[in-house]
Amino acid sequence: MNATVEAAENRRVKIEVKDLTKSFGNLLVLDDISFNVAQGEFLSIVGPTGCGKTTFLNALSKLIPTTKGNIFIDGEEANPKKHNISFVFQEPTCMPWRTVRDNVAYGMEVKGFSKARLEERLRYILDLVGLTTTADLYPNQVSSSMEQRIAVARAFAVDPDLLLMDEPYGQLDVKLRYYLEDELVSLWKALKSTVIFVTHNIEEAVYVAERILVLSNKPTKIKAEVKVDLPRPRSLIDPKFVEIRKQVTELIRWW
Amino acid sequence: MSTTTTAASSIANEIQQEVMERKPFSIVAFLKNRWFLYAISLTAFFALWKYVDYTRVLGNGIAAPEKVVVAIYRLMIDTVAGKSLWGHTWASLNRILIGFAIASSIAVPLGILMALNRYVNAVVKPVFDLIKPMPPFAWISCAILWFGIDEPSKIFIIVVGTFVPCLLNSYMGIRLIEPQLYDVVRMLGGSRRDEILQVGFPAAFPAIFAGLQISLSIAWTCVLSAELVSARSGLGFIIIQGMQLARPDFVLAGMVVLAFWAWATTLIVTYLEKFLCPWKRETSLA
Repeated sequence: MNATVEAAENRRVKIEVKDLTKSFGNLLVLDDISFNVAQGEFLSIVGPTGCGKTTFLNALSKLIPTTKGNIFIDGEEANPKKHNISFVFQEPTCMPWRTVRDNVAYGMEVKGFSKARLEERLRYILDLVGLTTTADLYPNQVSSSMEQRIAVARAFAVDPDLLLMDEPYGQLDVKLRYYLEDELVSLWKALKSTVIFVTHNIEEAVYVAERILVLSNKPTKIKAEVKVDLPRPRSLIDPKFVEIRKQVTELIRWW
Repeated sequence: MSTTTTAASSIANEIQQEVMERKPFSIVAFLKNRWFLYAISLTAFFALWKYVDYTRVLGNGIAAPEKVVVAIYRLMIDTVAGKSLWGHTWASLNRILIGFAIASSIAVPLGILMALNRYVNAVVKPVFDLIKPMPPFAWISCAILWFGIDEPSKIFIIVVGTFVPCLLNSYMGIRLIEPQLYDVVRMLGGSRRDEILQVGFPAAFPAIFAGLQISLSIAWTCVLSAELVSARSGLGFIIIQGMQLARPDFVLAGMVVLAFWAWATTLIVTYLEKFLCPWKRETSLA
């Protein structure tokens, strides 16, 4: 397990964020943010409430235009039409008129996967997240936590260059969240995707991430970077885990 | 790894299921039973009707329920103004189908277009808002002046009456779509065309259908109004005929048949929606 973590430094840079700035009128929200993400890295971003995490993600995914700076994927300017950027939103965003199976397949359809590749990958992903038995149900027949898992599966299914997650498990109860975090980590390990995971839950960030970026209050900058060099599966009561958690908590509370 | 996912799926796969609770039989449960209460309600209604007829409080203005049934039977066999009850029903239904088809084929696309394009919206909306509050029946004099007393004036009334709910519902259906569903398409790199075809239409479908359903019941009101004013056929004509001949059984027979068809046509649309929008299946018992 440790081997993969150590390799993170040596992996090639996949995502380059350069001088990312976003202001709404006079309100400066994102102030000159720069960082890199390695190929296949699991990066967590935490920050105080209202620090512009969602704006940050929307700018990264190109859903909103940036004021200054840019995002480069494999050295090229990020473009949703060309690059494979995937997003898991805070709220479940399943399409009510598609079955679980068709919802998971949706991203691959838009991306123009060939029929054979789509079918094969769909079967693999559904099996991986344990949705095979419920594949023919409609979203209004499953719980909202399952809807979120469908959205996660849909996001991973397109084999993204960059997978952005905006507090996907914020609404769930603790027990279910642990299961889904484990599921997320195993998906990431199986599919080797590059993930940026935004959360306000510090424990969650330390649990899933290889590296954590701590954001400051508005105007948002990167305040610190914390490496989480722990073996998986991680234990919440491991002294090292607790130490890192406290360190991140202090960084957020410090202002 | 496979063990963790299996565990997660067995714990996290929460499915909404319908469960019917069975209770042991008892007198109280029987008295509280929905169907029993329905029966009481209907029996009371017909008893009251029969009583009103028996005491003649309304004079000759009312016919007993069984007389109405007989009248319906008579109307089916005999002819009024050259047509049996079937002929008159078809006359009304035909007007409705033509008017409804014209209105929905213009109003639904227009409503969608208004919701998708703000320039179309800016051009159409002021005129539409001006006409919207006008009751369709207010158009009847104009309709007769413009189109005469034949079919076109009746169809015109239906078109005017059903146009508004068709347009409003398709407009709102598109406008009330969760913007996040569009974000899903956009973040995956879909085009504006994908947004409209893959999210806009399916998401607005239930609202459009609701509009069609409302329109259909308004269409029955409109056709009746038009037929009451001037017609030689249709269910409204039977009602007017019954009034002029002082035959309350004919009047009520016309009303009952009208209500039946209005209900039946709405039911068809409901089933059509269930067939076309299977995702809207109910998750709880009514």
